[in-house]
Amino acid sequence: MSLLQTVKLWGENIPWFEGLREKGRIAFEKVGLPTAKTEAWKYSFFKEDDLRNPQIDMTEHHCCEHCEQHSALPFEALKIEYCNGRLHSEELPPLAGLMIKPLVEAIYDKDVQPYLNKSFDLEQFPFAALNTAYLEQGLFILLERGTTLSKPIYICYHHHDNANCLCHIRNVIVLENSADATIIEHFDAEPNAIYTQNIVNEIFIGNNASLRHLTLQNEALAAHHVLLNSVEVKNNGCYRSFCAQKGARCSRQENFIKLLQEGAEAEVNGIYRLVADKQVCDTTTNIRHLAPHTLSNQLVKGVAEKAGRGVFQGQIHIAPNAQQCEGYQLHRALLLDDNAEIDCKPELEIFADDVKCSHGAASGDLDKEQLFYMQTRGIDEQQAIAILITAYIDEVIQKITDDSLKNWIKQNF
Amino acid sequence: MSKTILQIKDLHAGVAESQKEIIKGLNLEIKAGEIHAVMGPNGAGKSTLSYVLTGKPDYAVTGGTVSFNGQDLLALAPHERAAAGLFLSMQYPVAIPGVATNNFLKHAVNAQRKYHGLPELDAAEFLKLLRQTAKEFDVSAEMLKREINVGFSGGEKKRLEILQMSLLQPSLAILDEADSGLDIDALKIVANGVKKWHNQDNALLIITHHLDLLNLIEPDFVHIYADGHIVQSGDKNLAVELEQSGYKNFLDAEK
Repeated sequence: MSLLQTVKLWGENIPWFEGLREKGRIAFEKVGLPTAKTEAWKYSFFKEDDLRNPQIDMTEHHCCEHCEQHSALPFEALKIEYCNGRLHSEELPPLAGLMIKPLVEAIYDKDVQPYLNKSFDLEQFPFAALNTAYLEQGLFILLERGTTLSKPIYICYHHHDNANCLCHIRNVIVLENSADATIIEHFDAEPNAIYTQNIVNEIFIGNNASLRHLTLQNEALAAHHVLLNSVEVKNNGCYRSFCAQKGARCSRQENFIKLLQEGAEAEVNGIYRLVADKQVCDTTTNIRHLAPHTLSNQLVKGVAEKAGRGVFQGQIHIAPNAQQCEGYQLHRALLLDDNAEIDCKPELEIFADDVKCSHGAASGDLDKEQLFYMQTRGIDEQQAIAILITAYIDEVIQKITDDSLKNWIKQNF
Repeated sequence: MSKTILQIKDLHAGVAESQKEIIKGLNLEIKAGEIHAVMGPNGAGKSTLSYVLTGKPDYAVTGGTVSFNGQDLLALAPHERAAAGLFLSMQYPVAIPGVATNNFLKHAVNAQRKYHGLPELDAAEFLKLLRQTAKEFDVSAEMLKREINVGFSGGEKKRLEILQMSLLQPSLAILDEADSGLDIDALKIVANGVKKWHNQDNALLIITHHLDLLNLIEPDFVHIYADGHIVQSGDKNLAVELEQSGYKNFLDAEK
């Protein structure tokens, strides 16, 4: 069964919008699913078989009885929920300076037109092309100039059935100049659910604006998860992301970040755990320094507890005119299973001569002296390992500035 | 008669990988209330003894028996040996980045309580216990918040080892070169802590190659250890004699 099927989607009578979908279809038909020969996907390509019998979810939204419990949160937030790939929250809370609406409404109102599909090239991102062909589900979030959100926006994606639906979701997030917000994405599911999630977030950060973007990916272990954060940052704007991944049979979190103007800054931190054999967890980042005095920092740490595969691909590109940029990258992994595999591919493309850049990668085993020291104090081996894993990833968790969010990640990862 | 805490009979052991025997037929009995000192030249395998007793994975026992409070010590996993009452103050305490000292100590205390079927201490109860103990060893609240042994001075590390001993209340504590790298003030803190803990129900095994600590903690028995076994045993005077004449006489005498 082809991944491109004819399904009835909203808004086919809106020419500019249907035109976008058509572009997505054409691009996907041209490039197809990435294979082992596709350089950017060679460690984590999805076989069409992996996606089993993908069906586009055409059913009406039926929430499970636990729907309201999806998001019992230990912190205050504006909550938005997706359930089985469909936007669940119909009435979104109003707040001064903040516009949140379903994508379809924003398309109808044309609010989203200046942003939709503007941050990336379809042929470069096959899953995003597919996502474009099925544009419908999603959110448009816009923070007006100078608005500081007092509480985070929390987006929960919950799956509770095993219909193996293939869900395409597009969120467009715009921070106008000097706006400031925290957005949390939480992927969560019933343990036996089967589905494929294909998310594209287009994020636009204006001058002096600042976004903290926190992701907790705890998908069902039979699920597939592909996510693209396509981000543009303007003058002195700042994008700080933290992503914790431990679910899904195969997951890929891709960050494509363009630092467009002077002083733009990006921080991309992440932790991942491989908790099942054959699990694949891919973090791919491409940070493009396109202006002078831009700064990027990446720290990703993984723990392979089972015979899975962790992938880190980190590209730092510095354009010819982008002098006095700084780009740093570090990936470290712990291998606790003899059959685990870590593939790490740092790529630095530097076309300016006055820059500071570094990359580093290391993987290894737990320190046996540390384990023994703990055991001589009465801590059994299993608990000692757990303590060392916690300590290992804590370095990254400490980068989260908000204490309640920090604790939430610690408790749920 | 006081009860036997540790009974080592004809112990043979070495590094697992090399199969080279380092301990060659060692016998030692330690009873409750006693303080023993094992002295020997550098490279005699003194630390091997402490590692074999605590069950370090790189070491293998090739013969003999070790009974600890009536249990077969060698059959227990390292954490079980600790919970059974064996404590080792390490010559080189290990730094563990990312693990706060107070957190580590809470894990250790509660792991041992759990092993004995006791309820775990909650944060407040543990903090109270820790504060009392820390005061005795001149360990500040600031130091307890730091990552364990990371960037600690030699004195801080050893004080923390003795603090752990005091928290865990073992029946036998082995001090492996507890005096190395310590100035006289730090040495006194360590010695006073040990003396405070020591009573008629527990015992102490001091492994050292010089007299400094033994002048502060007077041993009941001194054993001279060389070439993998004890060549001579005696009382404190043996240590003094050793100080004057050096190891050479004892080693030659054996030959």
